[in-house]
Amino acid sequence: MKEKHIILILKTIGAVSLALFCLFPFAWMIIISLSGNADFLTEGDLQFTFKNYFEVITYESAHLLDYLRNSLVISLTASVSATLFAGLSAYSVSRLKFKGRILIPLLLLGISMFPQISIVGYLFEMMVNFGWINTYPALIFPYITLTLPLALWIMISYFEQVTKELDEAALADGATRLQVFYKIIIPVSLPGLATSFILSFIFCFNEFLFSLMLTIDHNARTIPVGIALFEGLHGQVPWGQIMASSVIAIIPVLFLIAFFQRYIIGGLTRGSVKG
Amino acid sequence: MIKRNTVRENIEAYLYNLPLILIVSVFILFPVLGTLITSLFRDVTFLSSKFIALENFVRLFSDEHFLHSVRFTLLFTIVSVAIELLAGLIFALVLNETLPARAFFRIALLIPWVIPIAISGRIWELLYNYDYGILNYIIISLGFANEPVSWLGTTTGAFFSIVVSDAWKTIPFMSVIILAGLSTISDELYEQSKIDGANLFIRFFKITLPLLKPVLIVALLFRTIDAIRIFDLVYVLTGGGPGGSTTSLSLYAFNYYVSGDFGYGSAVSVVVFILASLLAAFYLKTVNVNR
Repeated sequence: MKEKHIILILKTIGAVSLALFCLFPFAWMIIISLSGNADFLTEGDLQFTFKNYFEVITYESAHLLDYLRNSLVISLTASVSATLFAGLSAYSVSRLKFKGRILIPLLLLGISMFPQISIVGYLFEMMVNFGWINTYPALIFPYITLTLPLALWIMISYFEQVTKELDEAALADGATRLQVFYKIIIPVSLPGLATSFILSFIFCFNEFLFSLMLTIDHNARTIPVGIALFEGLHGQVPWGQIMASSVIAIIPVLFLIAFFQRYIIGGLTRGSVKG
Repeated sequence: MIKRNTVRENIEAYLYNLPLILIVSVFILFPVLGTLITSLFRDVTFLSSKFIALENFVRLFSDEHFLHSVRFTLLFTIVSVAIELLAGLIFALVLNETLPARAFFRIALLIPWVIPIAISGRIWELLYNYDYGILNYIIISLGFANEPVSWLGTTTGAFFSIVVSDAWKTIPFMSVIILAGLSTISDELYEQSKIDGANLFIRFFKITLPLLKPVLIVALLFRTIDAIRIFDLVYVLTGGGPGGSTTSLSLYAFNYYVSGDFGYGSAVSVVVFILASLLAAFYLKTVNVNR
C-alpha cells in the first residue's frame, strides 16, 4: 500500500513537470505573438493584440507567405517522392530474392548517419554547376535522400506484415508484380504509407542547413531559414513579429501531430523497438 | 527454367530500386566522395585549385579554433546525451504508468519535437533574453539573483543554454522511444517479482533496465550521432559565440564554406564524418556482441 502511494506521488510530479517543460516555451511563443509589447514583464502591462500577425502577413518585404509556400511545395514534393521510391524498393526487398536485398536497407541505414555538413559543401558546388541555386530542385532532391532511409525501413516493416499468400494467389492468377504492388500491397499497407509520408514531410519541413546553404531569397528559401534570419522591419528585434511568424510557420506540423499522433509515434518507435 | 526466373527476378528487383539508387548516388554518395577529394585540395574562391595532399589536415592539428570546436562538440555531445537519456528514461517510466489524458500527453510530447530547431532556437533566444526574458524575470522574482543573468553572453551560460534548448526538443522524443520499449515488457514479470518480494528499485534494475537495453542502445546511437553534427541550434541561438566558444564542428566547417574556402571546410567536414562513422561502428559492434 505504501509503495502504491509513492508511485502515485512520483507519477503526478513527473507528469506535471513533463507537461510544463514541454508546453511552457510553446505557450510563451503564443503569448508574445499576441502581445503589443514583448517587454511587458519589465515595462508595464501586457497589451493584447493581433497586430503582429497582421503585420507579418501583410508586409510584403517580410515574405513570410513566400517562405511558407516554398516549404510546403518542397516538403510535399520530396516526401511524396521519397515515399514512392522507398515503397518500390521496400516491395522488392520484402518480396523478391536478389543480391541487394540485405545490402540496400543497410546502405540506407548507414547513409542516414552521414553528417549533413559532409554533403552540403560539395552539393553547393554541384548545384552551382546545375544552375539550381535558389530553385526548388536544389532542395527537393537532397530532401528526398534525407528521408529515404526512414521511409524505406518503415515500409519494409509494414510490407513484411502483409501475408505473402495474398500476392502469391494474385501472381498465380496472372497478375504482374507491379499490379500486385499497387492493387494489393499498397491498399493493405496504407497506414504504413501514411506514416512514411507524414514523418518524411516533418523532416523536410524542419530541415535547415541545406536550405541555408542552397537558397538565397524568397524565391526558394524555406520558412525555418526565413525565421532564423528575420531581423525585423524597423531595426530593434521585433519579438512579437518573430513569434507570430513562428506560430504561423508551425501550423502545418501542429496539424499533423493533432490528427496523426498515433501514426507518428508508431513510425518513430517501429524501427527502434524491433532493433 | 528456374535459372531464367531468378535472372528475371533479379532484373526486376533492380528496376524497383533504380530511382532510390540513382538519387542516393547522385545526391549523397557522390557529394561525400567530392568532399573527401576537395579536402585534399587548396580550393579557395578566386584562386586556382591545387592538389596539396594532406596539408589541410596537418593544418587542422595546429588550428587552435578547430581544436576548440572539437572540444566543444564532444563536451556538448556527452553532456546533452547523458542528460537527455536519463531524463527521457525517467519520463518514460512516469508515462508508462496508467495516466489520464493519454492523447494530451502524446501531443504535448510531440510539440517540442515537431517544431523546427531554427524556430525553437528563436523561442529560447527570447526566453534567455537579458532585458525582458522570462528566465531572468523568474530568478529575480524568486530571489535567486539580484540582477539579470547574461545567459548567452558568457561561455558557461551559452553552453548550458544550448544544452537546455536541445534537451527541450529531445527529451520528449527520447521518452516516446523508451516508452515503446517499456510497453513490450510483460506485466507478468513484474507481478511475479512483486510476489517474490522485490521492491520498486530492485524491479527497475533487475527487470526494466536489462530488458530495455536494446532500445536504449538504439536511442543512444541516434542521439549521439545527431549531437555530434549539431548545427541549427548553435547557428540560431549563439551564432557560435561568445568569442567562438560554442562553435560546433559543423558550424566551423560551414563558416569556411561561406567564406569560400571549400578545401579547408571539407577537411573539417571529413573529421565530422569520421567521428560519426567511428561512433556508429562502435555502437553497432556493441549491439552485435549483445545478441
